[in-house]
Amino acid sequence: MSVTVTDPNLETFVLNLGPQHPATHGVLRVKLVMDGEYIVSAEPVLGYIHRMQEKMGENRTYAQFLPNPPRLDYLSALSYNLGYVMAVERAAGIEVPERAEYIRVICTELNRVASHLLWHGAFILDLGGFTPLLYAFDDREQILDLLESVTGARLTYCYFRFGGVYNDVDDDFLAGAKAFVKRMRERLPMYHDLVTNNIILIKRLKDIGFISAEMCRKYGATGPVLRGSGVAYDVRKAEPYSVYSEFDFDIPSYPEGDSYARYRVRMDEIAESLRIIEQACDKIPDGPVRAKVPKTLKPPPGDYYHAVEAARGEFGVRIVSDGTTKAYRMKLRSPSYSNLSLFGEACEGMLLADALALMGSLDLVIPEIDR
Amino acid sequence: MSGYFKELFTGTKSLAVGMGVTIRAFFSPVVTMQYPYETPKIPERFRGHIELVADDEGKPKCVACGMCQRACPSGCITVKGKKREDGGKGKVVSFYRLDFTKCSLCGQCVESCKFDAITFSKEYNLASTRKEDFIYDLLKRLQEKNS
Amino acid sequence: MICDTVAQELEELIAAAAAEEEAAGGEAGAEAADEAVAGGGAEAGAQGEAAGEGEEAAAPPPGTPMLRRTEYRSTGYHVDATVAPAQVAEAAAILDRHQFFIETITGVDWPADRQMEVVYDFKHREELCRVVIRARVDRDDPRLPTISHVFPGANWHERETHDFFGIVFDGHPYLEPLLLPEDADFHPLRKDFSP
Repeated sequence: MSVTVTDPNLETFVLNLGPQHPATHGVLRVKLVMDGEYIVSAEPVLGYIHRMQEKMGENRTYAQFLPNPPRLDYLSALSYNLGYVMAVERAAGIEVPERAEYIRVICTELNRVASHLLWHGAFILDLGGFTPLLYAFDDREQILDLLESVTGARLTYCYFRFGGVYNDVDDDFLAGAKAFVKRMRERLPMYHDLVTNNIILIKRLKDIGFISAEMCRKYGATGPVLRGSGVAYDVRKAEPYSVYSEFDFDIPSYPEGDSYARYRVRMDEIAESLRIIEQACDKIPDGPVRAKVPKTLKPPPGDYYHAVEAARGEFGVRIVSDGTTKAYRMKLRSPSYSNLSLFGEACEGMLLADALALMGSLDLVIPEIDR
Repeated sequence: MSGYFKELFTGTKSLAVGMGVTIRAFFSPVVTMQYPYETPKIPERFRGHIELVADDEGKPKCVACGMCQRACPSGCITVKGKKREDGGKGKVVSFYRLDFTKCSLCGQCVESCKFDAITFSKEYNLASTRKEDFIYDLLKRLQEKNS
Repeated sequence: MICDTVAQELEELIAAAAAEEEAAGGEAGAEAADEAVAGGGAEAGAQGEAAGEGEEAAAPPPGTPMLRRTEYRSTGYHVDATVAPAQVAEAAAILDRHQFFIETITGVDWPADRQMEVVYDFKHREELCRVVIRARVDRDDPRLPTISHVFPGANWHERETHDFFGIVFDGHPYLEPLLLPEDADFHPLRKDFSP
């Protein structure tokens, strides 16, 4: 952090947070105008790892762009993989076999749990607690091992393909997923004992970092940020895609709108994801895992949009096709971008340490914001 | 005032409960793998960099059709072929270079190959300070493996 | 339900603008609708007129204000409204009144039509309804009013669109590069961009 006094008569100064700062989880810079320990205004400065993914989408064929979307958000890569393949499937009118849909759901939900676990560890780390990170990583490791055994990668998966998945899962994987559900259910009360009910955590988060539902609407914030403001909006329920309509699960929401509410939403979401995984493992039908898809895809000219619920909110892909093998325009709508845009308004008048707690509760992944 | 003491009590209790969790973890088995003294088992489908597959005679199955080269999003692969020496139909691979610095392990090349001539390797201990170390001559690798 | 209400209100907005345009056009004695599309590009307007009076009835030139109801299953949205560039703020206000949230703003470059399209995505939180608002502006002088006073979240999306396409949003409080470096003078998503 560097500090410069702008005007000696005004008792405010500019504080530069980042771009290399552990609390910003990557290369995000925030220009803060401070009055002592209080924030007068904040302006996030983006673009330090901007890669122009959208231009790459215009220069590569649909299949060649497959490895890119998972690299937007490396923590819940499969949701991004899913969002992109579903958008292309909608454009090209491809039907996906049922077994493949179930595999997609199981893998995506496992990935969501892994993402929330990492957030849990990193968030408490931001607040100064080192221990929970190690517990979270222990559980996350189990998921990574499971996903590695089917996708072949541990972080930036490129597993889903147009019309299905890369390869079938075996019974070992399904048994492993069910074993993980059992293990995680036993571990969740431990997390609540260790962290959720901890008085220090409650004092740091409760009634701090308020975001109203109306502010979320004006800024387009989605995901746990919105659900922490009392709106039970989730793309999986509001706009059921894949086979999500066949599962029984709830959308957790807390009306308080503070950092603690967002914390609770994510912890509850882990439990809900476990329910989905368990049901999907029981119901998964036999059959092919990949539809017959032409080698070179040429979607008919037009506009197509598809959104999925990623771990951080609504991830949308807009494809403008001109009937060739490459997209004419590929727009990637990433949730953290909208979620971060309300930070400037939300943190006005807050203490700096509380603003960092608020930023942690937004669960930012910078490559996804910068794209 | 009673609220204050109540909070003091529940707060202290929550800290003690949390402490109990860590104490229990202290006596539970170690989960950390002591790499490099122990190494993890690499799963069957692990995606390392690609390598050529040999047929029964130890010759590469690749016919240098160039499908992998065209499928690759990042242009990592360069394949060259030559006429078969025994006078048969088709070509055999004479040069196969992989630029692993650009590869994102998406698997498009393996998927596009109709002859099952390339596969993922299981190598993960890859570290170097020189870029050239990641530009592989896969044909040479296969020959070295066979000999 | 909400889709119907919004579609109707947007349709009224488009019709009102068309009527106004016609009234103004009557005095000027020119093809009002066509001019609204070209937005000042006199040459493009002239070409459009020359190309065919007859064809126009079959397929209006791209960017003509109109409203389409689209099939959700195949496109992913319900209402697709093309409005005149000057009207985007009013259209956004209609959606704001009906509790829609802003999803994204983006651009599409159409060098063949000498136009640039700005696409606004909105979605309703309780009911499944996605609305797309489009406006086409002249490619040589792309500018249209901002909607950041209606949806503060549009601020960043408009800055991003300005970065990538060079579209100017009049009345925007702070139209500085966001994702590109602060001294960037190029617009990478324009079709004629080469690094």
